[in-house]
Amino acid sequence: MTARREPDPPGVPGAHLKWGWAWPANRRVMYNRASADLKGNPWSERKRWVWWDPSFVNPPDPKTGKPVPHGKWVGYDVPDFGATKAPDAQPKPDGIALDALSGTQPFIMRADGRGWLFVPAGLVDGPLPTHYEPHESPIQNPLYKQQTSPVHKVWAPGKPYNKLAAVGDPKFPYVISTYRLTEHYLAGAMSRWLPWLAELQPELFIELGHDLAKEKGIKNLDWVVVSSPRGHIRAKALVTHRIGVMHIAGKPIHHVGMPWHWGWMGLSTGDVVNDLTSWVGDPNVSIHEGKAFVCNVEKA
Amino acid sequence: MPEPMGFFTDTTVCIGCKACEVACKEWNQLPAENGGIGELSGDSYDNTRKLDGIHWRHVRFIEQFKGPYDGRWLMMSDVCKHCVQAGCLEVCPTGAIIRTEFDTVVIQSDVCNGCRACIAACPFGVIDVNPVSGTAQKCTLCYDRLKVGLEPACSKACPTDSIQFGSIVELRTRAHKRVDQLKAQGVKAELYGADPEGALGGLNSFYLLVDEPEVYGLPRKPQLPSSRLAKSATFSVASAAVLGVLALVGLRKRRMDEQSRGGGGGGSSNV
Repeated sequence: MTARREPDPPGVPGAHLKWGWAWPANRRVMYNRASADLKGNPWSERKRWVWWDPSFVNPPDPKTGKPVPHGKWVGYDVPDFGATKAPDAQPKPDGIALDALSGTQPFIMRADGRGWLFVPAGLVDGPLPTHYEPHESPIQNPLYKQQTSPVHKVWAPGKPYNKLAAVGDPKFPYVISTYRLTEHYLAGAMSRWLPWLAELQPELFIELGHDLAKEKGIKNLDWVVVSSPRGHIRAKALVTHRIGVMHIAGKPIHHVGMPWHWGWMGLSTGDVVNDLTSWVGDPNVSIHEGKAFVCNVEKA
Repeated sequence: MPEPMGFFTDTTVCIGCKACEVACKEWNQLPAENGGIGELSGDSYDNTRKLDGIHWRHVRFIEQFKGPYDGRWLMMSDVCKHCVQAGCLEVCPTGAIIRTEFDTVVIQSDVCNGCRACIAACPFGVIDVNPVSGTAQKCTLCYDRLKVGLEPACSKACPTDSIQFGSIVELRTRAHKRVDQLKAQGVKAELYGADPEGALGGLNSFYLLVDEPEVYGLPRKPQLPSSRLAKSATFSVASAAVLGVLALVGLRKRRMDEQSRGGGGGGSSNV
């Protein structure tokens, strides 16, 4: 069925139900009962998608043979609701699943059948988004006094292997991001042994802007020492305009970047970039703050 | 006979992942340079740098920036152009280079004697010697895959369909449509090698570029070695004529010199 390629005719509204297949039940928009108002009519002609047809004649119940009242959800898409559950249906007090919902509660996978703008429970922060600076930052939060997330994780606080720079620490004036390359996988333990991948990215590098390179007397391919409060490593400079100086809170701030796929074994070897990163994590899923922290760069 | 097949490479959607390079090497079992142990080139994200006997695909990275964050990063997956009039095929003395039923150009490794004439003849610098076989090698447009109805490894691996494989006629239609679409968006876009009336009778691997061909390392007017034949033949004939005249003059001068010495030597007796 996924191989089907029959579109709806031009000018005819529809959900292209014969084009491929969508899980579940070939339904194209989930919770689509919400495309109709409380009485089951489309919110507007433009938003017409599925609606309640009160005059639809249903066949008798196949199990009991009892007649079924008139009315059914119809439309362009496969309705995502009880097919014959009328808009004025009342929830059953001891009902299970859809029976516990009324005919005006389209979000059938939620316990209360309603859509949520935010999660009222389960997350340690929220419910609305805001801006916090990373734990290590060269500037004060320009938005308000709260510098960082008040609930973010800090592992091993105060330990010598997790020293953290203060806001605007002059010893570590640059912002660094760590990231991946397509050529390597995770810390590179597998990909750095593969000749075809190793030749594509043979050495660890640090990308830095022309302005910072000039300031520090660093030329393309020079060795540089990159340091953070946690440690220092060596890498070759890749001087480029793809990264550079940003003007934040009235001062120029240099941004540098490093891929983190290297280690001491394999065909392609290099220093471990995670020796620099801080043991700080986001409040909910504990992803460590490797995208934004501070460092210093000097010519080796 | 099947119709002409080839590649249309739309450089605007290349993301520089190099999956084509790796897929090519894997299918064709090409070795890595120096076993994979190399040095950073310092030239953007490009560390293989060129097409040669063990790199039949190569992704170029071109950084065009005026200042920090101000510019664009062009990427282009380069390969043998499978020229309709191929310079390599023209000069090959052993007949190792053939035109296939798919209108592609293939070097037969078992016939090639490694003379390297084709390396100099290619206007795109595509060919080089594979140190493992000692013969000249380049992209075969996966002739072995085409024979069994598969598309080449690189276009199969390309995640964005920057490299598209198909019949040349159909690819050209698609390419012109894409150029129109980009021009409507205000993007400067040109096809390179899509014109059957153009250089080398058209390229069976052609490109959509957003800058001058030179920016991508492609010659504006690629030429066949034979295009210089008339000129070089004229020079040869002319220089032969000049040398001939000089030789005659020299001989005459020698005879005159000998005569002027009054026939002192035995040589004068046979004048």
